[in-house]
Amino acid sequence: MSTPILSVKNLTVNFGGFTAVDDLSFNLYPGQKLAIVGESGSGKSVSALTIMQLVTLGTRAEIAEGEILFTKSDGSVIDLLKTSEADMRKIRGNDIAMIFQEPLTSLNPVFTTGDQVVEAVQLHQGLDRDAAQARALEMFERVRIPRPEKVLNDFPHQLSGGMRQRVMIAMALSCDPRVLIADEPTTALDVTIQAQILGLMRELQKDTGSAVMMITHDMGVVAEFADDIVVMRNSKLVEQGSVLDIFSKPQARYTQALLAAVPQLGSMTGEDNPRRFDLIEVPEDRK
Amino acid sequence: MLRTIFEDLNVSKFLTQRIAYGLLLMVGVVILNFFLIRLAPGDPALVIAGEMGGATEEVLTSIREEYGLDKPILIQLGLYLGNLATGDLGFSFFFNQPVASLIADRIGPTILLVLTAQFLSVAIGVFLGVIAARNPRGVISGFVSVFAAIGYAVPVFWTGIMLIILFAAVFPIFPVEGMSSVKLRDASIFIRTLDIMHHLVLPAFTLAIIYLAQYARLCRASMLEVLASDYVRTAHAKGLTERKVLFKHALRNAALPILTVAGLQFGNLISGALLVETVFNWPGMGRLAFDSILRRDYPTILGVLFFASAMVVVANILTDLSYRWADPRLRGKS
Amino acid sequence: MNSTSSPGREAWRMFRRNVPAMAGLFVLIGVIGATLYGQLVYAGNPFEIVWAPHELPGATAEFPFGTDYLGRDLVAGLLKGGAPTLAVGAAAALLTMVIGITIGALAGFYGGWADTLLMRVTEFFQVLPALLFAMVLVTLFSPSLITIAIAIGVVSWPQTARLTRAEFLKIRELEYVRAARSIGASNSRIIWTVILPNAAPPLIVSATLTVGVAILFEAGLSFLGLGDPNVMSWGLMIGANREYILDAWWPVAFPGIAIFLTVLAVSLIGDGLNDAFNPKLRGR
Repeated sequence: MSTPILSVKNLTVNFGGFTAVDDLSFNLYPGQKLAIVGESGSGKSVSALTIMQLVTLGTRAEIAEGEILFTKSDGSVIDLLKTSEADMRKIRGNDIAMIFQEPLTSLNPVFTTGDQVVEAVQLHQGLDRDAAQARALEMFERVRIPRPEKVLNDFPHQLSGGMRQRVMIAMALSCDPRVLIADEPTTALDVTIQAQILGLMRELQKDTGSAVMMITHDMGVVAEFADDIVVMRNSKLVEQGSVLDIFSKPQARYTQALLAAVPQLGSMTGEDNPRRFDLIEVPEDRK
Repeated sequence: MLRTIFEDLNVSKFLTQRIAYGLLLMVGVVILNFFLIRLAPGDPALVIAGEMGGATEEVLTSIREEYGLDKPILIQLGLYLGNLATGDLGFSFFFNQPVASLIADRIGPTILLVLTAQFLSVAIGVFLGVIAARNPRGVISGFVSVFAAIGYAVPVFWTGIMLIILFAAVFPIFPVEGMSSVKLRDASIFIRTLDIMHHLVLPAFTLAIIYLAQYARLCRASMLEVLASDYVRTAHAKGLTERKVLFKHALRNAALPILTVAGLQFGNLISGALLVETVFNWPGMGRLAFDSILRRDYPTILGVLFFASAMVVVANILTDLSYRWADPRLRGKS
Repeated sequence: MNSTSSPGREAWRMFRRNVPAMAGLFVLIGVIGATLYGQLVYAGNPFEIVWAPHELPGATAEFPFGTDYLGRDLVAGLLKGGAPTLAVGAAAALLTMVIGITIGALAGFYGGWADTLLMRVTEFFQVLPALLFAMVLVTLFSPSLITIAIAIGVVSWPQTARLTRAEFLKIRELEYVRAARSIGASNSRIIWTVILPNAAPPLIVSATLTVGVAILFEAGLSFLGLGDPNVMSWGLMIGANREYILDAWWPVAFPGIAIFLTVLAVSLIGDGLNDAFNPKLRGR
């Protein structure tokens, strides 16, 4: 493969006395679909927020060590951990965009959805308001929002959760980011909507060719979306490899247990609601 | 902005309802006024004439006639309401003037004082609150907390007097009395406006200080809550500057409780203006209320109560309207 | 609720560790003590002219805080002047709580038309500017400590009523209220012995703050000359001396500081109680 667009090397993140991420390394290549998998508290979301340099907001005690190397569009490589806040702002939303877990609360309730997309477009692409508006409309069409002209002028509370997540995706992709970080984008949605959103993301990824880093706890999502997988547990990397390899020959007992917990196709026939996963009890893997 | 309010079809219906309810409240105030006079010990005619007015028997007879005091109480109430509806608030025997014209002369200065103080306290309070919320354990945050505690506990009239001492004796840069300088009576409108603004500084700040601190504290708490929300994280993830995140995305949401409190505080602001006007000799309704109370001039006192309540009603309607504009989740509901 | 640990004791433990709140408590105890027992140590009639007017504080050992425009002793005034303020503040706050809790509890518990009616009345009282309405009441019914306390109570209760109503709306749906209902407890029993005790923490905090507001009210009325003219009070001292402030600042400054310290103490106690009852909201 070519040079990685994002290369995380020996990343360690400490909050006060707590180590949220411990010596994590992985690469993300252009066009790659990478899944970061782990249970809640495994450090996967903190890793994502650290890449965006958003983890310091509100908590000042945090210290990140290691390197997060990002290859800019002109080919130069910078360490995001050493990038100034002003330069980070030019990268956020433009080169690296992010989608969050809670579509219900991730959009600002007092601005129209259109304004929130237009704001990002104007900021990074220097378009005037009309051009930005047109771009927002185009994005809404691409994420298959029905009656996009109307939804542009709607406020978030007027839309369903699935629609709001489509707006979030439209916003994230509006500036053609080269990396998209999706933090559990389908977890808060109904099962049928989950499948639609996942399908949409797969399709858009194929069109745009952006690299996607999908953070999830759900092996089903991994199987459906990702090429490669990084498994994390208790702030540490457990194993990584291609989805094919890991699913057929999981090395770590933790990964085996995670895979065993996924319901088999058809096992839920006749049930109304998705079954809750059993808690996984596995002893620590020895390296 | 205005367009979005009126595009919303429900606003006119909502506004009609609010105005009708406001008028109902005002009728309530009038009925209350009416019964207050009847409840007061002594002859109502004497009460209306003003105990210190030294009313003659002729005046009392004419009052009994005008207010129908020999008739059943419901007819008296009807007469009273009828008089008010034609704009007749009664006659002040102390000032020897109709109450309506007394108040007409003084309502402007009071509105000017109250609105200026409201603007100052909200603007400065919100600004301090936002800065404090950026760093909840910082120096400004501590200052806001201490200042809020002090502002709450200081009697407003005492602050005014202390400021008079400071600015009259130590730094004589602001006038400490009245609303305009006699020597500028014949100057141009521009100069006279500046003169009024100059006189306004101390009374407006005195009144603003108490509420300013409360708004700063409220805004800090509200901002802290909003800053922890997901949409603020989204705004950061878009690459917006901190200033834009704070003052656009966060503040628009954090402002909602401030708007509510600002509306509720309006009545208290008028109460405070009463004291401040007395301290600074500001020629408004508060000063008029004080003078008329000392003289037991009831028609004037009740007229002031009526107009002050009307100001609160209007302020409440405006608050409700702006709240609907500020929070899109409320639009379309009635 | 957990029966093994008393919430009251837990709150007091939190309160005790709150430095500003404890400072407030000590200041308030000091002010009340000085008001009640001050004359035992320092006798003096605050109305009596005892010296030359406008004696500077500290200039004469006999009158450590100086004298006012008539030559009256300011220390005597300060010691005597707290009594009406504190008494009216406490009585008015009590009245405010009684009216506010009754109306709020009935509205919140019964709902429906009772709620609508009572809340309309509450809104009506919120339209009247409180100080002005209190001035009218005091003037009409001649100023005395009792009428002043009643006037302040009559104008201040709406906020308490709203708070009580909100608490009742929240609590009446909880399981233990349904349980009480299911064993056939009467409405009044549920209101006063089941819901009210559980709504107590926010109401106690509100009562404390109401005392502070009532003190400021009394001071404002006395300052305007609407207090009881036969009783010396801090507000009256400020009002009486304000014409002469450019000659002498101290007869106005000292009583103002006394009011300020008392209200500050009360509000610090209120904040402390709030933190003690809601440990999670600390720092907000």
